[in-house]
Amino acid sequence: MDLFRDCLDKELEDRNHRRMGRVDGLILEVEDGRPPRVAYVEVGVKTLLDRLSRRLGSAAARQLKKFGIDTEPYRIPWGKLHFGLNVVHADVEAEKTPALEWELWLRKKVIGRIPGA
Amino acid sequence: MKKIVEIALGIVTSVGGFLEIGSITTAAQAGADFSLQLIWAIVLGGLCIIFLVEQAGRFAAVSGRTIPDAIRERFGFKYFSVLYLTLVVVSLLVLAAEIGGVCIALELATGIGLQWWALPATFVIWLVIWKGTFGVIEKGVSMLGLVTVCFIVGALMIHPPWDQVLRGAVPSLPQHDSAHYWFIAVSILGASISPYLFFFYSSGAIEDEWRETHVGINRVIATSGMSFGSLISIAVLILAAMIFAPQGIKIEHYSQLPQLLVPVFGHKGFWLLVASLGIACMGAAMEITLQIAYLTAQGFGWNWSENQRPLDEARFSFVYTIVLLLAALIVLTGIDPLSVTIFSMVLTAATLPVAIVPFLFLMNDGRYVRSYRNGWLSNAVVILIIGLAFVLAMVSIPLQIFGGS
Amino acid sequence: MKRLVHAELLLGKKVLALNGQSIGRLEEIWAKMDRGQFFVSEFLVGSYAVLERLAAWTIGRAVLRVLGAKRDEGYRIRWDQLDLSDPERPRLRCSVDELMPLKDAQFPA
Repeated sequence: MDLFRDCLDKELEDRNHRRMGRVDGLILEVEDGRPPRVAYVEVGVKTLLDRLSRRLGSAAARQLKKFGIDTEPYRIPWGKLHFGLNVVHADVEAEKTPALEWELWLRKKVIGRIPGA
Repeated sequence: MKKIVEIALGIVTSVGGFLEIGSITTAAQAGADFSLQLIWAIVLGGLCIIFLVEQAGRFAAVSGRTIPDAIRERFGFKYFSVLYLTLVVVSLLVLAAEIGGVCIALELATGIGLQWWALPATFVIWLVIWKGTFGVIEKGVSMLGLVTVCFIVGALMIHPPWDQVLRGAVPSLPQHDSAHYWFIAVSILGASISPYLFFFYSSGAIEDEWRETHVGINRVIATSGMSFGSLISIAVLILAAMIFAPQGIKIEHYSQLPQLLVPVFGHKGFWLLVASLGIACMGAAMEITLQIAYLTAQGFGWNWSENQRPLDEARFSFVYTIVLLLAALIVLTGIDPLSVTIFSMVLTAATLPVAIVPFLFLMNDGRYVRSYRNGWLSNAVVILIIGLAFVLAMVSIPLQIFGGS
Repeated sequence: MKRLVHAELLLGKKVLALNGQSIGRLEEIWAKMDRGQFFVSEFLVGSYAVLERLAAWTIGRAVLRVLGAKRDEGYRIRWDQLDLSDPERPRLRCSVDELMPLKDAQFPA
């Protein structure tokens, strides 16, 4: 498998085929004398911003924390994934993970309060 | 029979949804300032958009992914973020121009200043997106947009010198005011080759659940729809050339726009212009709004679809709501909509390469398009369009400074 | 001792040889399955590796040739040949001569 071509930035779907973001990061477990193990995929705004600039990612995380927004990325163990063509299926339920935190918050606090939603 | 209906609807949608404030303004200015000489720019823009729209539709139908999806997946987040920021800024300006176009139509119809219409018009656009489905927006509004065919009727009725019209379809050098000539040409190309058009088309193909079997239909719709749409733009240019150019009148204010149709249709022409402008700009405003929301949702992997309830895709709904508010604020500042229009067309031209370069890779990527890869002709055309895009990107801002009105 | 490394932050990083010179940018990571888990087998470096990542072999090779790129532009680095103790500056653990070149003959036509 080509990790960047076949995994990074691919759309993530949960076990109910609901979109839950994209693979924003890939975590390798590195140990001396052993090949690095592909351990997790990561979803989160800080993970994404770190890819542009580590400074930007840290600054954004600090600012968002002031508003009480947790930017801790969500990690899915590699073992819970299986790979389709251009999509990664995760054996999780999206609404029970932090991946949809903003979606659920907006649904409850903003969109849900507008008539006709 | 079902395929014929689908093709007919698709063409109607493309035609009805083609004209908007950018194409009207740039074509009218071209006709007023350079008579029939700049028809070639609309023809060139039309040819380019036919190829890009056809490829965007084919890509979506075969891969089940949209172009923005694939750009994030193949080119990574860094490239996507550049594309995203560029397109959102430019699209926001274009959206403000379109809302301005709706407000101009309402001001012309009622005499009430266009700034007063900014919030009501934006609210109506938002409401249609909020409550409507993709079909309502795509087909319903575009059907109404067929009123813009009145420009073609007008152009025929005004009996232009057809030999000069045909000569105008061939590129020529300006006889005067070179900087302004090329500036208008670049603006026309920016109005024609708008990234939101082909990105929206690929999102629309997914909304309409196109499959591999739609590849042929897509080719017909893209070619016919964009061709007829370009004909409407050419008709606007012809009208301006026949009405404004002989008297040396420049189009400097939107209140002059009704003069495109009044000399041909009498007082009915005023209402035809108001209806055409209002409906065309409203349709375009909805498309651009949705496209910014699609781009955001697709880029970040959120749920998206105009066919779902806003509650089921809260982030998507939130984005288009905020986008509309921001665009309305721009109109509320009182900035002249025609100036915003021309500037946004030039900016579109300046940022084209970012949106078009990925086509060359994606349309040859077997993992997406399988056996429906580009042939040598399509690849050659995309390379030429990319070359044109880079030229436009380099000259558009200098021309805005030296040749803009 | 195990540590975690963000692979996506390695993308595009210059890989340094023993003498501190850059041999190219890291553009792809190959992983292989072994007993149900995926382990990194090789890191790809260089302009040809970009084509692998973009899946752009047909068009990309033609474009690269027009731009004057050398035919064998890139390296395959085995997992044990790369030191990731500083992910901002991945370094070779061996000399460049020990690396396998990234030849276009190894990739799809």
